[in-house]
Amino acid sequence: MSFREKLLDLKRRLSDRKMYSIVIAVIGAISIWGLYQYKHAANLRQELDNQYNRSFYDMVGYVNNVETLLTKALITSSPTKTASILQEAWRQANLAQTNLGQLPVSQPVLANTSKFLTQVGDLAYSLNNQNMQGKPLTSQEYKTVQQLQGFATSLGNSLNDLQNQLAGGRLRWNELANKGTPLFQKTSQQLPGKEFENIDKTFQQYPTLIYDGPFSDHLVTAEPRGVTGNELNSEQAKQSVINFLGADRIRAITDTNRNDTGPIKTYSYSVTFKNAPDDQVATMDITQKGGHVFWMLNNRPVPNATMNIDQAKATGKKFLEDHGYKGMVDTYYLKEDNTATINYAYQQNNVTIYPDLIKVKVALDNGEIVGFEARSYLSAHTTRTIPKPKITEQQARAKINPNIQVGSSGMAIIPTDYKTEIFTYEFKGRMNDRDIIVYINAESGKEENVLMIVNTPNGVLTM
Amino acid sequence: MKKLKRIILLVIILSLSITVFNDGSFFVTSISPGLGLNSAGKDVEELQQRLKNWGYYHGDIDGFYGWDTFLAVRDFQKRYTIGEDGIASKDTLLAMGLTKIAEKGSAYAAPHKGAGNEQLLARAINGEARGEPYVGQVAVGAVILNRTRDPKFPKTIAGVIYQPRAFTAVADGQINVPIDPKSTVVKAARDALNGWDPTNGCIYYWNPATATSKWIWSRKIIKKIGKHNFGK
Repeated sequence: MSFREKLLDLKRRLSDRKMYSIVIAVIGAISIWGLYQYKHAANLRQELDNQYNRSFYDMVGYVNNVETLLTKALITSSPTKTASILQEAWRQANLAQTNLGQLPVSQPVLANTSKFLTQVGDLAYSLNNQNMQGKPLTSQEYKTVQQLQGFATSLGNSLNDLQNQLAGGRLRWNELANKGTPLFQKTSQQLPGKEFENIDKTFQQYPTLIYDGPFSDHLVTAEPRGVTGNELNSEQAKQSVINFLGADRIRAITDTNRNDTGPIKTYSYSVTFKNAPDDQVATMDITQKGGHVFWMLNNRPVPNATMNIDQAKATGKKFLEDHGYKGMVDTYYLKEDNTATINYAYQQNNVTIYPDLIKVKVALDNGEIVGFEARSYLSAHTTRTIPKPKITEQQARAKINPNIQVGSSGMAIIPTDYKTEIFTYEFKGRMNDRDIIVYINAESGKEENVLMIVNTPNGVLTM
Repeated sequence: MKKLKRIILLVIILSLSITVFNDGSFFVTSISPGLGLNSAGKDVEELQQRLKNWGYYHGDIDGFYGWDTFLAVRDFQKRYTIGEDGIASKDTLLAMGLTKIAEKGSAYAAPHKGAGNEQLLARAINGEARGEPYVGQVAVGAVILNRTRDPKFPKTIAGVIYQPRAFTAVADGQINVPIDPKSTVVKAARDALNGWDPTNGCIYYWNPATATSKWIWSRKIIKKIGKHNFGK
């Protein structure tokens, strides 16, 4: 049968009455299905649009509130009233920032707006802390608030414009997401790119805070105090890799990278081991200055655990001592994947110095060190002149909530949100079956921090 | 027939609400030592064995403190007039003669607060960097965490990961790809959460072979790990 005949045959069959109804039924079914799918998709799109709208309208509301609150902060005269207003401004700026992050606009476009909102929040937070102690704003701070208030006003105005366009139906979110970005870009560009205040305040408590021990999340200082020594080239720095991992175990060292930005400049190496598969590697960063180990990670899987946590702590401490880190004491730890990640803090004259923190990851099958992290230590470590406390331990103890049964006490230096360190008494105690640590300033007697300890089968964590 | 359907529907709704109830914060806040809903491990197995021996418990000895165990413990408590809360607290454990567990008793103390974030981070790494070397996976996790600390980005892990147009793996659903049990992404997420940052503070990364945004090339490349460039 030729093709033509086949076609004719098909035509003949189609013209059959029964066939007609079948074809129509099929087409009908397909169109109903298509219609349903279309409606479904339109519904979803609408739902998404509604979400975006909610985020946007919420954000505009919060930004307007921030502006009002900053204006009020400039007007009030009593420090305590200013403090409560700034606290509210901090909260509102934070909410505005959260909603901003949910808009379907690419991040670079929103970067400055987001930064601005964070900085308003951070500044308000730090001024609030200061005002709570009854100190009024200095003229410099007054000026900064004034400046921020000006930016908040202009941001509010452009957002109100945008809101009108959206509400008037002249703009839709999918258009805005795809090509409407210049609108946001303009808004963002009007805002200052420069930093007002460099406070790293995380608003949500993260597991990092818990796992790290409470004091490792402090800012990396601009001048890393622990990075001492001469500038080395990549070949010289390799010696640190050999010393750290042991010459007898190393098969090959590959020079992979160098990083010349940031306060701590580094060389990166990748190391394979004798009697180990090729895909088992340790990756390391060594500082260009002095050849200190910045961090190390070994990807060896650890199949089982034969050591207990006390043995692991001792192994880690011995390793630190053998590699020139003297006077480190373990503070918090976490067991995962048959490894223990242990925090060690520096101790000087029986004062625990939490900013000088090293994390060591011990494999619990053979005690090998499979991870090392010294960012905090390298940023902060130095020999400190520790002052004599101005108040006695007895006086400090009297400042604690009487319901806490104090178990042990000591002295510690802790970092603050403001890149500074404070000298404190550390009291460990219990209340309502919960372990608590309280820090009392050794000079002013102020209660600086309260931490809650959570004992889990995996380790000692704090919140 | 309709009735049957209704019953099935009811059962489904009930079981769903129980799961929600179960996962919610109803019981997990208690910090007293002992075992409770969602506890798991050898201690729970011992507890189940005792309860089974004495005829309170009829389920499997699976080491998971589910509703069956909860009800069994409650029945036990009813019989011995210990506070009927279904939680194997110190008193209950002592009454059962499980002194060792009662004294150790921290298995129930801390529901892993970080577990949710850890899983989310692991899934993001899985979607974005499954095929990368281990350090590359930790690096992707570190970038997400660095973003939470950067004023230009949302402040929460979920906020950063689900920020519209931030990650292709989120946009195309790769983030929901199940994690291969042999994969190292969970370990990588843990290392990132524990503070290891192979990128030294980077907040962007891109694959030079597939990056579509021209803008991203204006970023300074700090490091190259595997297929990705990392930048600030």
